[in-house]
Amino acid sequence: MNQPAASVRDEQKKDSFGAKLAKLLSDFSVHYMWEKKWFFIAMIVGAIMLSLPVPDGLSREAWIVLTMSLVATILFVTEPIPLPAVALLIILGQVLLLGSASSDVAKSLWNDSVLFIMGSLMLAVAVVKQKLDKRIAWIIVRITGTKTTRICFGISVVSGLLASFIGEHTVAAMMLPVGITLVTLTSDDPKKVRNLAAVLLFSIAYGCSVAGIGTPSGGARNAIMIGYWREFFYDPSNPETQRFIIDYVTWMMFAYPMFLIQLPFVTLILFLTFKPEYRDLSRAVVKLRAQVESEGPMKAADWVSIILFLLVLIGWIFVSDEVGMGTIAILGATAFLVAGLVRWEDINSGVNWGVVFLYGAAISLGIEMKETGAAQWVAENFLAMLAPIGANEGFGLWAAVSVLTTAATNMMSNGAAVAVLGPVVLKVAVVAQESPIVIGFITAISSGFAYLTVVGTPACTIVYASGYLKTTDFLAVGWKMVVVSTIIMLLAAFVYWPFLGI
Amino acid sequence: MAETDIDLERLYEERRARYRVLVCVDGSDESYRGLEYASQLANNPNSDIILLYVRPIDQGLRSGGLQVRVARENMLSWGLELPGIKYLKKGLEQLMTGEGMASDWGEKITHTDIEGDPLGDNKIEYTNEGGRSIVLKLKTASTIAAGILDQYELGPYDLIILGDSGSWGGWAKSLWDPAVAEKVAMHAPCSVLVARELARGKGHLLCTDGSDHAMRMVKRSGVVAGKINSHLSVMSVALDVESEPDAQKNVDAAVTELKAMGVEPVNAFTRVGSPFEEIISAGEDYSFIVVGSDGRTGLKRFFMGSVAFKVMEHSKKSVIINR
Repeated sequence: MNQPAASVRDEQKKDSFGAKLAKLLSDFSVHYMWEKKWFFIAMIVGAIMLSLPVPDGLSREAWIVLTMSLVATILFVTEPIPLPAVALLIILGQVLLLGSASSDVAKSLWNDSVLFIMGSLMLAVAVVKQKLDKRIAWIIVRITGTKTTRICFGISVVSGLLASFIGEHTVAAMMLPVGITLVTLTSDDPKKVRNLAAVLLFSIAYGCSVAGIGTPSGGARNAIMIGYWREFFYDPSNPETQRFIIDYVTWMMFAYPMFLIQLPFVTLILFLTFKPEYRDLSRAVVKLRAQVESEGPMKAADWVSIILFLLVLIGWIFVSDEVGMGTIAILGATAFLVAGLVRWEDINSGVNWGVVFLYGAAISLGIEMKETGAAQWVAENFLAMLAPIGANEGFGLWAAVSVLTTAATNMMSNGAAVAVLGPVVLKVAVVAQESPIVIGFITAISSGFAYLTVVGTPACTIVYASGYLKTTDFLAVGWKMVVVSTIIMLLAAFVYWPFLGI
Repeated sequence: MAETDIDLERLYEERRARYRVLVCVDGSDESYRGLEYASQLANNPNSDIILLYVRPIDQGLRSGGLQVRVARENMLSWGLELPGIKYLKKGLEQLMTGEGMASDWGEKITHTDIEGDPLGDNKIEYTNEGGRSIVLKLKTASTIAAGILDQYELGPYDLIILGDSGSWGGWAKSLWDPAVAEKVAMHAPCSVLVARELARGKGHLLCTDGSDHAMRMVKRSGVVAGKINSHLSVMSVALDVESEPDAQKNVDAAVTELKAMGVEPVNAFTRVGSPFEEIISAGEDYSFIVVGSDGRTGLKRFFMGSVAFKVMEHSKKSVIINR
């Protein structure tokens, strides 16, 4: 008696389950396809390009590498899949499409630039965890007094000086609470301090951003460009090419003055754009002082971390051309771990390891661009395109490269922009008989001009997480920064760099 | 396993029986006006309000490979509140002053860890003896729209309220990066209210085309109008002059329906022309435009488009899409 009833129930159950599954599948596939549309578009573009006949003057391999770069760029910009997955696709493409040996591809993923990126990220977490931010804030307000303009300028200068050595993301993460604390101590009502919050937080973000160009350790993009120069032009058998090894001090001679000139403009532009509600922050400063005093005097651990940090700086400046910048960065991170100043767990959760991976894959693809001749071909076509407007040489070409890089860097992260554009612009320099070093610097420096969007530079992204800024604020003040920075850079390239003998 | 399934199903049924409003808070004034509307709508023992803040998951490359969580942890260690918590707290304060939420409401806090985030998903539930509850929920998701839609999956809602996040573009823009409100309105299986300069007092404008779902919309609006003490008007648009009597018939049907429910419409009129343009221009004089939507979902809804969507996209007033 029981059995038929049970089977009917089972039947019904199965039925409804089947219907549910069908609905689930249709919902899922529609939603999935929609969410991932750019992935499919990129893949279709790739498939079409590969099935077309190879253009004249290109080898089959070069065409494949070019296709992969284009597909990767689409994926970088639209982000339909997690970005580390793009890195994996690049590796797969090199083995499966290009036919490179798996071990060769694996080897090409690591070099000193990637090691440096990884080491400096670990170092960044270690530095932020030292909690020296309150003391730094206190030193700033002690020197500047309580006037809003002076505090903002002080914050920009100190953030900038630190960021130029340990990277903009590090300092932005460290100084963000300083900015917010000054805002919240002034007034609890966010509406009353909207402009004050904007000037304080942008002073941190832009102070860090303009500093990122200052030294090779200021950002991943600089290390990538140094790696490309070595990879593209350095030939150990030819002493002439020694000049393409740009060491720490040489880079600083090129770029550091530019950063210093930009600093006052940051404060000026911010105060012209946002009129802060409070001209004087004495109330907030008094409370901040009380907070710092509750920390007590500097402890031994604080001193050790400052000394370690200074040692890393000295290492970068004086011995990095012998042992590599990556080695010093890793040495520094190891020292912090050995001294017990930071826990591995903090480093592990604070570093996005996928990014390290992504840079490795992007650089490896960039080198393939050069070796297969794809970069050369793109460079020739790019120049032919610029020739009618007279931008195929000299100053015009510099400006064109700068505009191209600025456009790219506002759409994707600045490191990715340099990794993707680097091989092409360096070949452009060769074809146009310009100095690859000047063009390389212009690319690396312009890639820092991503002031327009929240996602442009790491410092902007981190500061935006505070919730005090709107996306439109970035546009309102960003374009002025782009214009001023571009003019300063082109002037430096025109007037100052020739003195350095390039 | 089976037992938890049954439990979930029971919970789902229980929730189905209640009037649940999901208010998406992003710190903007608009979202708090939406919350005020919700508190009036759900001011009875059978209604719940869920406040939701969604934060997109951080993408490491943007912050240069250093996780934003390092900065957030640093903020927390300074004793500063993260934006999401601040917005939700403000919302709760508003609710408490609005309806005298007493301190004897029970409080239950749950937390789910999300990889790579110091906050994870957090939920605070306040319930009173009558079974009413107010839930604060902080959530991380790949995108804001996905987070809101996922939230629907967890518990059915009768209405989702969200502020217009601006930037509704044309076709190209919506392919590139659809605004959050647009995406939620497109995919959500329940009614959606997109708040724009939400002001009360000018009443609801119901747009009917005589179809079954439009009539259902009229009925539901009648119930809602009773709850929040707002007046209603009815309109219908004819494509040309010949079909105007049909439109008039639709309006009459709606008016009869409303009168049967004891609601007296303020205005009842017809217009001739392109439906969405006429609705938008007529809607200027009202606080809300209410449009019905048939059950189409996802791609179908996107490709076939609908008057409801065009109204939602182009109107400057708050729009309710009723499902």
